[in-house]
Amino acid sequence: MSLASMTMTEVIKKQYIYKLQAYIQVFFSLLFLQLIAVLFSLSGVATMGTSGGMVDMEIRYYSADLVVVFTMLWGFISAVLITTRAYRNDDFLFVTNRFTSNLSNMLFLLTASLIGAITAILSFYLLSIVVNLFGSDYFINNTPVLKDPVEVLLGMFSAFLYILLFCMLGYLAGTLVQVHKSFVVLLPAAFLGSLFLDLADGRAGVFAEVFKFYHSEHSILLFTVKVMVTAGVLFLVSAGLSNRLEVRS
Amino acid sequence: MNVIECKEITKSYGRVKALDNLCCTIEENKITGLIGRNGAGKTTLLKIIAGHLRQTSGEVKVFSLEPFNNLTVSANIIFLHDQVNLPTALTLKEILQTTGSFYPNWNHELANRLFNYFSFHPFQYYHGLSKGMKSTFNMILGLSARCPLTLFDEPTTGMDAAVRKDFYRALLKDYIEHPRTIILSSHYLDEIEDLLEEILVLKEGKQLLHMPVAELQDWAMTVQGKAPVVKEWTNDKQIIYSKKVGDDQMLTVVKNDFSAKERQLSREVGIELSPVTTSDLCVYLTSKSTGGIDDVFGQHDDDGGH
Repeated sequence: MSLASMTMTEVIKKQYIYKLQAYIQVFFSLLFLQLIAVLFSLSGVATMGTSGGMVDMEIRYYSADLVVVFTMLWGFISAVLITTRAYRNDDFLFVTNRFTSNLSNMLFLLTASLIGAITAILSFYLLSIVVNLFGSDYFINNTPVLKDPVEVLLGMFSAFLYILLFCMLGYLAGTLVQVHKSFVVLLPAAFLGSLFLDLADGRAGVFAEVFKFYHSEHSILLFTVKVMVTAGVLFLVSAGLSNRLEVRS
Repeated sequence: MNVIECKEITKSYGRVKALDNLCCTIEENKITGLIGRNGAGKTTLLKIIAGHLRQTSGEVKVFSLEPFNNLTVSANIIFLHDQVNLPTALTLKEILQTTGSFYPNWNHELANRLFNYFSFHPFQYYHGLSKGMKSTFNMILGLSARCPLTLFDEPTTGMDAAVRKDFYRALLKDYIEHPRTIILSSHYLDEIEDLLEEILVLKEGKQLLHMPVAELQDWAMTVQGKAPVVKEWTNDKQIIYSKKVGDDQMLTVVKNDFSAKERQLSREVGIELSPVTTSDLCVYLTSKSTGGIDDVFGQHDDDGGH
């Protein structure tokens, strides 16, 4: 029997298609989380009230920020999930090596981030409708999609970058745990520990700096470069770490 | 041509050596049985061949390539074992389609026919199957993929006798139609004996013997008779196993190098020579200690008697 040979792109393409199908649960949890986030957002992100004489006025601001934040967390958790043994070992029944497995995971996470970003930004319109129908006497919509589509697309794009960043963070965290079990304890301990230490010292610590580095970037181009480079580095580290991992069941 | 070549491979898990300087070669288009007791290193060897594990030392070549992280090796191997983890989100039908999309030689018609024969439901999920059904489904994947190298690690776990028979028959039929290299590890040697061409016996991570099944069938001989006579007869032979039967009888299994003259003589002195079944022989060969489970209890009885 002659040997079959497969190119790397062929395998990655097949794995990608397979993963979109097999990891469908990831998208169910996205739907669920975003609905919860919309529910939380119904009370508004900021409230302003004033009253004088016969007039009593209350202004509430609504935004999909919370949905985006929830989606970022979802990205992190989903990425951790697909590095777990059950998901990783699935690949090894079929044609794979560790590199193609990582690359197809990366493609899957890119797709997931994109879908997450689009639905997160669009969820604002769901929020608007609900508020408009049930929660408000007078509704001012200042982000109609048709009036300023570029703005909406930019919003989606930056949400996509944020979610992707968290996906890659989750992927690295998950991979570290696969490399050695002790990271299950070490990673949260290091994260919380440094948060508490910063708090005790009363200074803006490393996390605030990191947050500032990305969040206070005004140029979308520079922001894109920052995120893409970071995500790329995180992915390469994960791929490098997992390239020697064995398949244990 | 050799499909698999292992040179002095060692695999350690911490301090325990699962494989200890194992050397073996598997030839192309043969069905080889991998036999050994629990913990002899069968699964570890298969996992190394499949590229799941990396050997601690030594050299493994599959299709003349290093199997670990090799795409070509992966594309030509299918490895089924009882801990296979199939995607929980896919139905059985979808799993068949997905597996088919990965393996170029996949025969979808065969898969479907087997699927229907064993009355699986297309919308069932793998994790909802019973143990025997899971094994049966794995077998469908393994046969239909028609990979040049097919590895089955204890494929019959949980299968009932009827399904096991069907499995052996299906394996043989498909093998005759599409010859390929198949390695089968199993505890039921007597059932698969007729299927195998070669047998590879592992003991404590080492290759104990590797030979055609036909040769193994008369490789050893049982000598039974009065204890002193048996002892005398087996004095210069390689003793594989020995036990007392009744008060003065003794049964000894030795390597078969009896001449025709010796055979004739044996009848005159009241000794019975008989062939050993391969599965019994493998049990004797791979036993970790001299004597058997009877001795564990026998010891106790003797103490009680005095």
